[in-house]
Amino acid sequence: MSSYSITEPSRRQKWFAGVLVVLYALITILPLVWIIGTSFKTPSDAIAYPPKTFFTPTVEGYVNVFTTRTRLTEEQLQAVGEPQTWYDRLVRKDGLVISGPSRFAERFTNSVIIGFGSTVLCIVLGTAAAYAFSRFKVPLKDDLLFFILSTRMMPPIAVAIPIFLMFRSLGLSDTHAGMILLYTAVNLSLSVWLLKGFIDEIPVEYEEAALIDGYTRFQAFYKVVLPQAATGIASTAIFCLIFAWNEYAFAVLLTSGNAQTAPPFIPTIIGVSGQDWPAVAAGATLFLVPVMVFTILLRKHLLRGITFGAVRK
Amino acid sequence: MTRFLDGLLHFRRGAWEMLASVLIAAGVVMLMQPFALVLYSWSFLVTLLGTVMFIIVSHFPE
Amino acid sequence: MLHSPVDRVAEATPHAIAKRFRGLSDRSLAWLFVAPSIVLLLAVNIFPLIWTIRLSFTNFRVNRPNAEVEFVGLKNYISILSDKDIWLTMQATAHFLIWTLVLQVLIGFSLAYLINKKFRGNDLWTTIIVLPMMLSPAVVGNFWTFLYQPQIGLFNYAIGFLTGADPSSFSMIGDVALAPWAIVIVDTWMWTPFVMLICLAGLRSIPDSIYEAAECDRASKWRQFWTITIPLVLPFLMLAVLFRGIENFKMFDLVVQLTGGGPGSITELTSINLKREAFEKWRTGYASAYAVILFVTVFGLASIYVKALNKVKER
Repeated sequence: MSSYSITEPSRRQKWFAGVLVVLYALITILPLVWIIGTSFKTPSDAIAYPPKTFFTPTVEGYVNVFTTRTRLTEEQLQAVGEPQTWYDRLVRKDGLVISGPSRFAERFTNSVIIGFGSTVLCIVLGTAAAYAFSRFKVPLKDDLLFFILSTRMMPPIAVAIPIFLMFRSLGLSDTHAGMILLYTAVNLSLSVWLLKGFIDEIPVEYEEAALIDGYTRFQAFYKVVLPQAATGIASTAIFCLIFAWNEYAFAVLLTSGNAQTAPPFIPTIIGVSGQDWPAVAAGATLFLVPVMVFTILLRKHLLRGITFGAVRK
Repeated sequence: MTRFLDGLLHFRRGAWEMLASVLIAAGVVMLMQPFALVLYSWSFLVTLLGTVMFIIVSHFPE
Repeated sequence: MLHSPVDRVAEATPHAIAKRFRGLSDRSLAWLFVAPSIVLLLAVNIFPLIWTIRLSFTNFRVNRPNAEVEFVGLKNYISILSDKDIWLTMQATAHFLIWTLVLQVLIGFSLAYLINKKFRGNDLWTTIIVLPMMLSPAVVGNFWTFLYQPQIGLFNYAIGFLTGADPSSFSMIGDVALAPWAIVIVDTWMWTPFVMLICLAGLRSIPDSIYEAAECDRASKWRQFWTITIPLVLPFLMLAVLFRGIENFKMFDLVVQLTGGGPGSITELTSINLKREAFEKWRTGYASAYAVILFVTVFGLASIYVKALNKVKER
């Protein structure tokens, strides 16, 4: 009894808390599991009543999300001949033939290009600015930092009106370059604030020692501070990547054919006859699973990222 | 004596910031309340006043 | 001005070395480092903002580039601020805002409180709970329309299973009475973990010694909760509420995918309404005034948020 701390919860309390939290976690994860499950169903299994928990998995949804298909009559099917590949055979069961690739792969690639492009820019600009804000006396420092943060808070639709006009007159609308610039500007606040927090934590003494050893200020930044901040930079980069990856409002308003990313595209996936839920689920799964993996990797820094580095845990 | 003045200034900034925050909050509530159209119509002016005031008083010395 | 590290080092080093790195001039380096970011933000945020303010006093329409642009003074502002329909979208936003905040704070805080009991495996379960938060709101909204389908949807099935109601007898996104709650439920599902994480950080920042002292004073658990736990977590909770409040005030992607503002305009939140004015009706000048009103509101809330942020940082 003497080693027992008064602030330590009792066993029964722990057990009770555990049960409730696990229950909530199971309920909260159910929609995600359901979507991933639906992506492996056939369209008829997906809309079965009562909802099917056990089913024979199929990759039809994934085939459908990457292709466009046409329905052919019996004679036409005969004229086309035997299906050549495994995915041909899969859609042939429903009397369909694959008429070409869908735009999903293209949209996905756009998301990757724009996501990574803006993240790299964001980190380069953000690290430099964060270092300056952390170490130097920048005039109007607090105002600049607030200004940078406030750009993040603005409603995207309101910002989109002038951006739309500006991009149109500069020829940037619906281009990768335009979207990369825009997403960089949107995420810059996050990267500056987060990285400033990470750099603040690196003791100034390291740089002072380097300066005494004859390094220039820039060398000290490059050879001493950057390696120290590596973890911080990496997690900031993942945050920027996730936010750019998820962004919808600007993408739907400012892109259409060429530079459209996946989020505005996924809801437009429609099958040959009505809403093709397994294909939508497959698209969503392919899009969401990378983010889930990153979230798990980032879990230690998650709180810091979403509060702009204010709460460190 | 200067320390006392500093303290006074600090207190004043805090108080002013509080007043500005209250104005902003009142403006936001007026904007979204379902009771009177008049309040909705004047909400923007109140928020604007609060926001401008906040920007000014946040430059008062601490 | 002898405060920066370089100055301090410069004082303490021999003249020759000091000269060598003084030559780079911290001041110019600072500007070199900060300027690109500021320039980008000026170009992509401030310049458009000023442009919006200018347009808000005109009757400019993007789809009529040849029409003469007239200066109409405060007319746009006056008509927006006396428009009953826009007032209604503000009320729809308020309904969404208030209920999401209430639910997220209640559930989020309770979860954080339970997780803080440090049962075995709490890290794993926390990670699982956090998953919805980082997903794309548009895609989330889209797949929830599937879960909300009458009869075939998992949500309707679960409600039917629990209450005995017929799963095909109600439609969460098609029913005027239910649609406002449909968006509240999805937002709560998605963002409760956010409030939970911040509350957890708040709870973990309270040192054990305070509770030990209270225990010595024979304060009851109930009293400890209200006099120690709640006041000390409150700044964190404020931060979470303000942040979610700002985010949900400008909510667009999740709801537009989930209900598209319908049925009718019952879930037409402010941002969705603004999008219609600006990009469907193309009343650019009018929409710009609308945007300025939202800007000022968010900017005001953001300044309070930063104040709350600094308060938490001091802890």
